[in-house]
Amino acid sequence: MVLVRNLRPPTEGVRHEEANTTAVLSGQQLGCGTLYVAETRLSWFDGSGMGFSLEYPSISLHAISRDVSAYPEEHLYVMVNGKLEKAAEEEDDDGSDSSNGDEEEVITEIRFVPRDKASLESMFSAMCECQALHPDPDDEDSDNDFEGEEYNVEEADGMEVDAAVAEAGQFEDADVEH
Amino acid sequence: MEPEAVESATVGVEVVNSIRERTIAENSMVVLLQGLQGEVTTVDLRDESSARGLVLNVDAFMNIRLKDVLFLDRRGQTAQLQDLFITGRNVRYVHIPDHVDIMKTMESQLAKIHRVRNFAGEGGGRKEFGGRKK
Repeated sequence: MVLVRNLRPPTEGVRHEEANTTAVLSGQQLGCGTLYVAETRLSWFDGSGMGFSLEYPSISLHAISRDVSAYPEEHLYVMVNGKLEKAAEEEDDDGSDSSNGDEEEVITEIRFVPRDKASLESMFSAMCECQALHPDPDDEDSDNDFEGEEYNVEEADGMEVDAAVAEAGQFEDADVEH
Repeated sequence: MEPEAVESATVGVEVVNSIRERTIAENSMVVLLQGLQGEVTTVDLRDESSARGLVLNVDAFMNIRLKDVLFLDRRGQTAQLQDLFITGRNVRYVHIPDHVDIMKTMESQLAKIHRVRNFAGEGGGRKEFGGRKK
């Protein structure tokens, strides 16, 4: 999550690419560039190759803002968990803005302002799709046991047979769906 | 219905993800949230901000899509957002509207999941957990 130079834009899995997009990082205008909504990460690069990449797990939320009273231009708003630092500066965890103690999470607000406002919905949807590809790996609370023993659809359906009873080639004439 | 060969080729990973999501949802309270689709409600985020809007979708990972949102950031400033996607990890609370019957909502969501699964398992549909041996 740092500003880098000479990083190449992603070429694979790009769900949406939007040129002529201004990036505003924590209120600071970074200039005009291209936003790449790729399956692996969200990136933005200006013409000179300077830019940044965000990992989806670090993104708390994203939204389309058309409320010009809140911000003068329609844009894609992204809230990132954590701080984005310029590569030249040291990452300082005791940063001056976050001196409220351990409970306050540091966030970074990024606005992507495309020249073509009609693209906002595609940009938003592409981000939704990519975000869904990165579920929270740290989620210990929910019962995500895919192979859970409690799941007994076979018994309910009555289609599965005991291994002892199955004959070789028994299902060879069944439709193959895979 | 599309021919099965075409369906298998184009649906692929999405089917697996849907199966996985249905299993996750079925085994957690997220089914309740999924039943809030179409309701206007408030979602409180971990960082003390909150969003009130129409629930468009909640997936198994508790990622929530809201529409026509009033967003109250943690500093107390409001903003209107047309579409909002909140990552599941950042959700602290989802308010259940008073008029929502929690048990009925969960039962109807589970019934939907079972209907989809039975449709997939019978006849020519793709069988979930195909190949799983006892």
